Order: sequence, then C-alpha cells, then structure tokens
Amino acid sequence: MSAVLSIVRAGPLTSIQDDGRFGMLRHGISASGPMDRGGFAQAGALAGGGHGGIEFTMAGLEIRLASGRCRVGFAGGGFSVRHNGAALDWPGSVALAEGDVLAITPGPWGNYGYLRFDADVGVAPVMGSVATSSRARLGGLDGRVLRAGDSIELVGSGTSGGAGDAEPRPAAEGPIRVIWGLHADLFAPTLRQRFLAASFNVSSRLDRMGVRLDDAAGVFADAASLSLVSDAIVPGDIQILGEGTPIVLMRDHQPTGGYPRIATVISADLDRFAQLRPGSPVAFVPVTVEHAQALLRSRRT
Amino acid sequence: MAGSSAPETFPTPTILPLGDSGLLVRFGTDLSDAANRAAIALAAVLDRQPVPGVLEIVPNLVSVLLRYDPLVSAPAEIAGEVRLRLFGLGDAASTARRWTIPTRFDGPDIDEVGTVLGMNRAAFVAAHNVHPLRVLATGFAPGFVYCGLHAGALVLPRRTTVRPSVPAGSILFAAGQTAIAATEMPTGWHVIGHTSFANFDPAGTPPTRLAAGDVVAFEVLS
Repeated sequence: MSAVLSIVRAGPLTSIQDDGRFGMLRHGISASGPMDRGGFAQAGALAGGGHGGIEFTMAGLEIRLASGRCRVGFAGGGFSVRHNGAALDWPGSVALAEGDVLAITPGPWGNYGYLRFDADVGVAPVMGSVATSSRARLGGLDGRVLRAGDSIELVGSGTSGGAGDAEPRPAAEGPIRVIWGLHADLFAPTLRQRFLAASFNVSSRLDRMGVRLDDAAGVFADAASLSLVSDAIVPGDIQILGEGTPIVLMRDHQPTGGYPRIATVISADLDRFAQLRPGSPVAFVPVTVEHAQALLRSRRT
Repeated sequence: MAGSSAPETFPTPTILPLGDSGLLVRFGTDLSDAANRAAIALAAVLDRQPVPGVLEIVPNLVSVLLRYDPLVSAPAEIAGEVRLRLFGLGDAASTARRWTIPTRFDGPDIDEVGTVLGMNRAAFVAAHNVHPLRVLATGFAPGFVYCGLHAGALVLPRRTTVRPSVPAGSILFAAGQTAIAATEMPTGWHVIGHTSFANFDPAGTPPTRLAAGDVVAFEVLS
C-alpha cells in the first residue's frame, strides 16, 4: 500500500514524530517524540498501527490525500475534525480516498493533536527514528517543521505500531505530581514549601523544548543564582533560570544543563501537563518514585 | 593529564532518582578530575557488563545517568547492580582513543582571553596545548564535547554576554575547559579558534567520533 498526503495548512510547530530517538543522549541528542505520548498511541491504535505520525498544535491542520488511500486516526487534545466538510467525532478514525480533505480546527482543550495512519510515514529515519528534533534540527522532513505544500509518502502495511489504547482516556485533573529533583536540596525548605503552596500559570512561551511558567507569587524571584556543574536532564525536569523563571523541560530538552532543578514531573502526568494551554493554573504535589511507577503500572492494566 | 597506570581512588558516589525512569550515579557536585574519571570508568564498566533492565547509559561530567523502564525494573535492584560494579572500578584510560584536532587559534576572543590571563596570543596557545586534554563528556548539543581540565592558570569564567550563533567547529574556552562545538549554536564561552574536525554526522554509526575518556591534542595550524 502506498499513498501521498499533502499539507494544505499547518500551524507552527507541526512535526513528524515517532516514539522517539532513544539511546543517543551520550551523543548529545535528546529523544524527542510526542509531547502527549498517550494521545499519539491512541491515534495509532485508531488508525491501525503505522509507524510515525504528525503532531500538530492548537492552530490545527488540514491535509489532502493526493493519491492512494489510507485510514487515518486522530487523537490528542480536544479538536474539531471534518472529512470533506462533514464533522466527525474526536478522537476517531476515517478512511481517506484520493482527493479527500481532512480539516482539523481548534477545540475546547489541549495544545497537541496527532494524525496517524495504517501505513508508515515514509521519511528516512535518522539515527533509527523519524522523530523531528526542533532543538537538533534533525529527523522528520529535513529536520524541520511541516508547512503548507509539503508532501508526505505513506508506505508499507502499517504493522509496525499498534500498541496503545483506542478508548478515550479519562481526563485527569488535580495538581501535577512531581518527584523532588536533582538539586532540590539546594532550595531552602521554606522555598520548597512555597513551590508546593503556590499556583503557577502556563505562560505563552512554550514549545517542544520547554514550557515557561508564570510565577505571579514570585516564589523564585529571590532565589539565589547558582553555578552548578552541568548534569543530565530528563523530560519533566523543572529548572529555575537565573532570573527566577521556572521552566518545565519537555521532549526536545537539552541533554544536559547547569540550572538548578527543583523537581521532575512524573511520567504519568507529563502528557497532561503538555496539554495545558497558556494561562492554565498549575500546582505541584510531590510523590515518591514508587508511587509514580505504580501509577504507570495501573495505567497499563 | 590523560591516563595513569596507578590504581585509581574514586570518590564514593550518591545514587539519586532522576524522575521515575532514571537513576543518576553522581560522584560529586563540583567538576573535579577524580569525579570525571570515575564517571567515565563506571560508564565503561556498565557498557561492558550491562545491568538488566537498563535502557541507556550516559556518562556526564561528574555522573552517569541510567535510564530504565519502570514497568520492567525496580530502581533499588538497578542501584544494587551498580554498587556491585563500583567495586574494583578501574581506570578507563586503556580504552581511550587518541585524536588530533587541527585548530586555527584565531577566534574573536583569543586576544582578550590572553590579556585577562596575562599572556600574549602565542604564550596562551602554548599554555593551552602544553598537555593533551581528556574528553570529559558530550552534552548540551549534538557532538558538543567538554575537554579538560586545564591547570589553574587557565581558568576563566564565561563571557557576560551570549553570542547568538557560532559555527560548527568553533573551539570554545571557559571554566578551565576547552569545548568543541559540532553544530551551529549560541554560546557564552570565549571563542578562541576553529577546527575542520567534524564530530557530528547524523548519518554515521555512531553519530559522533569523540567519546568521554578519549584524549585530544590540538594541532596548531597557522
């Protein structure tokens, strides 16, 4: 099976992703991969399991199937979708024939949505992955975001993926859970308490590398600027920049960094955090590593 | 500086969780020669004797990151396996490769660096190259290597302003280290030269040539 889709309209930061380019941290390259891994997996299960997919942002996306046929699954945040003008349920899937148009427009919640197919996204893997790294400018289509006029080939029978739950996921609410971070002990106990007591807001400065938080209460306004030896970063790390801005590092994070990190968002909550729109309030609550891992196990069963 | 046949005494590490899918074995909170050697040696041992369930081993300046799948492995078991490998941790210098980095020491900051350190350009270049350096770690960006450590007389803080872009191959200098940028990037380091040595090739296997523990000598091109 083979098909070609054309990008008719793309918002900024639309990119090709797969699960990620793992194993390259020692070469200075973070894994990338979907900002909402659960949404990406759900779109894959709905489509029938081709490798790779398209991540789009709040601005939406419009594609046209230039040739061939395919099934497309869509999931992620809450979006509106029309197939040749007819509204479909979101999340869901639909069969596309040559000339069909799928138009996705902003919906009630979320920053990221996913299109996946019953065939593989036909771009050349770089270091074993088609995930686009906005930081390293590699992977995907020439290492860049997608834009109107791009063509993407769909190849193969799409048997390489398919893991994931096609059922809608329950909308989790409440504080974002964290594990105390690498440098938590460098923050005074009173400052750690204020970090937990405060409500932050997702700022408008967010991308695949990191999400800056507005700190209206000025929790970190007077935090001492520390000079630290550069050390490993993992997705979800909350680092405090020199002038006191908290930033949650995301999938295209720097592989290492020297700003102090107070906590790390747990894996079970990082998708939900990624989907919080600018202005959303965010509070943090600490959990143990064991609790964070139990949450991942319970999600699997 | 690079390599020693004497038995090593390494600092005792702390094993810390880094989120719910990573463990960091940290040999110090400051960059020291001993902590860096220990991190490189542990990563080499873990490469040779893998710990079941560990997905990725990453040597950093003073630590080693072990990434694992929490659905498969418990961090306490991995930490136990790491502690077994910490006994008799050897010097990894025997596996280190040697590289020559052809370099033009003509960067925009080289004379200012010399002035601050009280040397003319020739004296600074000579002092910079008096010993080969060890690749301390790769990090920050693809193929970006930290090399060191320089003697105390060559320690200089970073610039107070960031250059928005320096080209791949830039030779950078700060904090007792020399770094080689393998991609275009912004930097607050002093730019002292450039090299044609390309450390990053996305199509290569592996994609970078220099590895932590390798020994680099800068060959002066004029």
